[in-house]
Amino acid sequence: MKNPILEAKGISKSFGNIKALDDVDFFLEKGIIHGLLGENGAGKSSLMNILSGIYIPEKGTLTINGQLIKRLNPDLASSYGIGMVHQEFRLIDSFSIKDNLTLSKSNIYQNDFSEAFSKYSDIFALNLNAMTPVSELSVGEKQKVEIMKLIFHNSSIMLLDEPTAVLTPQETVQLKESLETLSQEDEKTIVLITHKLKEIKDFTETIYVMKNGKMVAKDLDTKTVSDTQLIELMMGEVKTSKFDKNNLKGDTKLEALDISFTNEQNIKTLQNVSLEIKSGEVLGVAGVSGNGQVELANIICGIIKDFEGRVIVKTKDVTGKGVKSRKKLNLSYIPENRLGVGLAPGVSVLDNSAIKEYFQASVGPHLSKNVLLNSLNDLINKFSIKAPDVKAEISTLSGGNMQKLLMGRELISNPDVIIAAQPTRGLDVSAVDSIHNLIIDQRDKGSAILLISEDLDELFKLSDRLIVMYEGKVITEIETELATVENIGLAMAGINE
Amino acid sequence: MNKFLLSKKLYRNELATFYSFLIGFLIAIIVGSIILLIQSKNPFDVFSLMLKLSIGSVNSLSNSLNKAIPLILAGLGIAIINSVKLWNIGAEGQIFFGAIALNFVYINTSIENSYLYIFLLLASGFIGGSVCILLPALSKVLFGVNEIITTLLTNYIVFGLTIYLINGVWKDPNSLNFPAAAYVSESVYLPTVFGKLSSGFLICILFTLIAYYIKDKSVFGYEMRIAGGSALTAIYAGISAKQKAFIAMLIGGGFAGLAGAIELLSQTHRVSTGISQGFGYTAIIVAAITGMRPLGIFLVGSLFGALAIGGSVIQTIGVSSYISDIIQATTLFGALIAQFFFSYEIKRVKDD
Repeated sequence: MKNPILEAKGISKSFGNIKALDDVDFFLEKGIIHGLLGENGAGKSSLMNILSGIYIPEKGTLTINGQLIKRLNPDLASSYGIGMVHQEFRLIDSFSIKDNLTLSKSNIYQNDFSEAFSKYSDIFALNLNAMTPVSELSVGEKQKVEIMKLIFHNSSIMLLDEPTAVLTPQETVQLKESLETLSQEDEKTIVLITHKLKEIKDFTETIYVMKNGKMVAKDLDTKTVSDTQLIELMMGEVKTSKFDKNNLKGDTKLEALDISFTNEQNIKTLQNVSLEIKSGEVLGVAGVSGNGQVELANIICGIIKDFEGRVIVKTKDVTGKGVKSRKKLNLSYIPENRLGVGLAPGVSVLDNSAIKEYFQASVGPHLSKNVLLNSLNDLINKFSIKAPDVKAEISTLSGGNMQKLLMGRELISNPDVIIAAQPTRGLDVSAVDSIHNLIIDQRDKGSAILLISEDLDELFKLSDRLIVMYEGKVITEIETELATVENIGLAMAGINE
Repeated sequence: MNKFLLSKKLYRNELATFYSFLIGFLIAIIVGSIILLIQSKNPFDVFSLMLKLSIGSVNSLSNSLNKAIPLILAGLGIAIINSVKLWNIGAEGQIFFGAIALNFVYINTSIENSYLYIFLLLASGFIGGSVCILLPALSKVLFGVNEIITTLLTNYIVFGLTIYLINGVWKDPNSLNFPAAAYVSESVYLPTVFGKLSSGFLICILFTLIAYYIKDKSVFGYEMRIAGGSALTAIYAGISAKQKAFIAMLIGGGFAGLAGAIELLSQTHRVSTGISQGFGYTAIIVAAITGMRPLGIFLVGSLFGALAIGGSVIQTIGVSSYISDIIQATTLFGALIAQFFFSYEIKRVKDD
């Protein structure tokens, strides 16, 4: 790289014992769209928060326009022209577009607002009056206003965190054109953070890849780099250690037939997905997150009801029925979001331990605390959970113990069907091993298991069959024995041979 | 350089709320004493007089407990609604509406058996309280409108309605132009059990146990806790958080409505502005001090009833009755601050 506008060298940052960033280098060149690729939790957002002055790094140097910066803060960062669009919008809903755009003291179009607004409205294809309150805007329009805000605040370096996550395909194409115009005509330096391979290849000129807090590839030329190369960088080395796969399979226990779903933002997140899992079988679902996996799990478990298609659990059609109908057929769901969905924060360990089958501890309106306590003690013994005070809030448990409590609660009834989403995300190695053993144990007891994961290692290790989801479709289905990391990785990028 | 950080304690003492209350009450007594000293009154004399005239005899004790009934019932209602992490600021209005509903049913029906009639009238008070919170409850679950605002505003509407009724259609021609509805017949007065203690207090004990059961021992209480903890967890568990919130609000409103009905049948015997003297607001203090625990509400409600009686009698020696209001409010302040220190600790962190 010839003449970087921003240089970050040897940046490190830890949160508690977790190294979010480990000796990371990052360079930006003026007027270019850079891509920053990586899985969830790879450290992309942490790095961006450091560049915009929100986090202070423990080590490393930052040079902007050739000037060494000692200690950055958000105010200083914006005076150096660094602006960021966060995944959660930072707009004031009750203010008009104009007020939002001109709110900051660094706003540069105080006097010629209408000219500037009409110019950038053209670039962003935003057909709105500047006096419209932001609360009346669609998600896509809010996104545009967020990016325009950076321009009005005179940001020359624009950091965009997953800007396409909330956009429809058409809006994504539009965004691409707008960003290209900005980089070419206004010489804006843009960083696009994403975990979507297709977008990074469409939007950018140069690509950086992060994995586990490290920058594993710098300044790759988008034109020459291959999808396979990017996938390998992003996924890292996959150890294909496997459990014994001589498990006996029985009758079909779960069928999803021709499932399609359009979400509230009118985005088609699932298209004609079908799958079938037999007793004693693990079906792995691979895919970069945000390709319809969460919606699929929620539909199978009865949380989302307004979908097309059919869900059949143990030969019973449960389409249109709720969560409890599935529970009665002994289906268990281990959701991706542990604290917040699987477990209720602020509520006791005891109450949380009963969420799956509390109604079985009830006689009429009465809920027996003793029955709940006994079941919890069973859980604690069987799954060796460390819970010093069961009446204390759930957050007094460590992450691993929370997940064990959640898994234990869902598995102790020997479920016929298990839906497990990212069951080991964020856990340490020993916790991961014990969770894997639980899943295999359950498989051998005859459960039909749907395992949704972004961890290819985990999927290869546990699954009998794999499907790959991409943009709401099943793009590949293959026996694990016949699958290779390469062809799964390519399918995850939307390339199907 | 050292920095200080506030961090939430993982474990809280089981009795933290109780200790907090004691600390708060002690602070309130000290503050009250200072105010009395400024007025050159001997705090010891004043407080011992308050004590004597609020719990010193069967009569004064029963007065105090009668006063506690609406505080306890409305406080229990607030606590039930708070199980789903919602706030009912509208107990005052629900108390009035309970009394209005009772009077409406009383005017339009007639039953020979007075026990049956009393039961019917109390039930209409309860239902009146539920009806009063219906609009805030519906707008909460259908449109997500903030219940704190809607329940508070309902108070003004109901108070206006009360003024309208007792100056208009319900105005008693024999009341010498005093705005009040006609008295109900003596046959439906709530009987007293000992001294002047109204049998409403027994109802109050019963409803304390009911509230305790609902909150701590029932399936519904469990579902309310999960729904209050996380709406997403509730959906995941197959619990309808909105349905729980709606039912909790109707029950909670009913408790306050029942308070209004008991107040009418045992104290005022007619609809007037005297049905409640801010009981619905004091009940919020009672519920908050106890951390929304029914048995605690019963005890603190009784104490606050005694304080109110004590406050009204010390006027005879030239001390303002506001001293008891000051003690009540300062107890809440002190207790909340003490609860804060039971839940959080100040940690010193080294910053390099």
